[in-house]
Amino acid sequence: MDRTEALLIADLCEGDETALAPLVERYKRMIYRLAVQITKNHADADDVMQETFIKVYRSIHTFRKDAAFETWLYRIAVNEALNFVKRRERRRECTFETATEAEYEATARYRAQLANDPQAQAEKAELRQYVTEAVNSLPLKHRTVVILHEFEGLTHAEIASILNCSEGTVRSRLHYARKKLRTLLKPYVDAGAI
Amino acid sequence: MRSKCYKIERLASDYIDGTLSEQQTADVASHIRSCRSCKREVADLKKTQHLLKNFYVEPEASEAYYAQFTTHLQKRIEQSAPTALHQRFAAATTRLSWQLLTQVYRYADRFRPSRFISIRQHTLPYYVLALAMIVLIATPFLLTQISMHNHGEHTRLSSAGVQPAVTLAIQQDKTTTESVGIRRNVSSERTTETPAVDSGSDVWKFTDEPVVDGYILTTLHKDSSDTMPSVALDIDSELLAYAEFPSQSAIWARRTSRDVLTKGRYALLLLRGINTGQQALQQYKRKRSELKGFSQKLLDVPLEMLSVAAVHDPIEL
Repeated sequence: MDRTEALLIADLCEGDETALAPLVERYKRMIYRLAVQITKNHADADDVMQETFIKVYRSIHTFRKDAAFETWLYRIAVNEALNFVKRRERRRECTFETATEAEYEATARYRAQLANDPQAQAEKAELRQYVTEAVNSLPLKHRTVVILHEFEGLTHAEIASILNCSEGTVRSRLHYARKKLRTLLKPYVDAGAI
Repeated sequence: MRSKCYKIERLASDYIDGTLSEQQTADVASHIRSCRSCKREVADLKKTQHLLKNFYVEPEASEAYYAQFTTHLQKRIEQSAPTALHQRFAAATTRLSWQLLTQVYRYADRFRPSRFISIRQHTLPYYVLALAMIVLIATPFLLTQISMHNHGEHTRLSSAGVQPAVTLAIQQDKTTTESVGIRRNVSSERTTETPAVDSGSDVWKFTDEPVVDGYILTTLHKDSSDTMPSVALDIDSELLAYAEFPSQSAIWARRTSRDVLTKGRYALLLLRGINTGQQALQQYKRKRSELKGFSQKLLDVPLEMLSVAAVHDPIEL
């Protein structure tokens, strides 16, 4: 945690609401990326992001200064996103099967990128789509661990802390997620399309 | 699959992450040199990981969305400001009453007698249930009335031509600008000063309120006006506070140490690093527009930090 961030957090703890905006500015992209990957839905990710920062604003006094703010933020965001998905499944308004990746804005943006990118050859475009869909098809628990480990670069211990489970559980989920992905991506793995 | 291969397969994921101990890493490396199946397993996992890192498309929203997000968040924070305890309790009791009523109704419905049988002999339980429901539903209303009754003094004052009260935490042992018309009241161990008098046609004066948790609660009455009084405080040349009043619930909240200082009832902005005079006012105006709707716990401000240097009419501000 750099000094500026520490000062912002201290100010927020003391009730200075102006300190919230720079923190939001700093972390909003990270939180959105995480939320949309877990919820697979832009609107839900937006709600998760707002709830996350509202919780930060209200609970900043519970944050231990010796801990990493980013990990604390991850924990809030991941738990919010997981709860959101569970509530959504309970309501059966939108299941994973119906909530395709096409629902969030990012996909449209990605497709536009592909269309505009002269180097985005058809094969690579197909491979990207295939890999993205494979990750999105993983069960929620496995997908969350893959996102946090492979894309956010968190360690097993950090993920265990965020998900409030043991490191062994994180390792196990990661192991099975990778095996599942290997099966899903078998044609590309076997063909050595790297 | 041999038992050794099974163990290696369990460790393969950690092996490619490099999170195994030195001994375990050496064991796996040694095994895959001699076992084609396990070597293939590890190689496939590495390829899969490589595919993920190089071909997975991370979602990203548009810049326009990010730009609007902070504004939306601020609105959400304002909307979800905490409410007074009695209001929350009343709302919860109402919800509970309706849920209970629904459940009881459903339960009673199962035992409803046939329409060919006179219901007169079965009516007593229904009367009892109905009475219980009325009590439950009426409770929130009664609680609200009791709460209002606690603040009734202000209502009566208002109806008698005396305006509602303002609550402020003010340090009493510092010099006050004379023109603001403030009688400087004190707690028992502090000296009392007589107020200076007037600010235009309005007469402002503070009256004593008890000390609560180290803060002096001071009531400001504004004579001969129907408008809600407001006041700006220049604090030690460093802080500028602005508060809009009155709030019966704010007084009630202070007595119960609750934070119900929400938009429309009570707003206080604390600005740091501000000098005095016009600069402070300009800062205040700017901050006021930026932070509109945010509440601030006045209770968090140490008493020693507060002193009244100027009182401004809200219209001027």
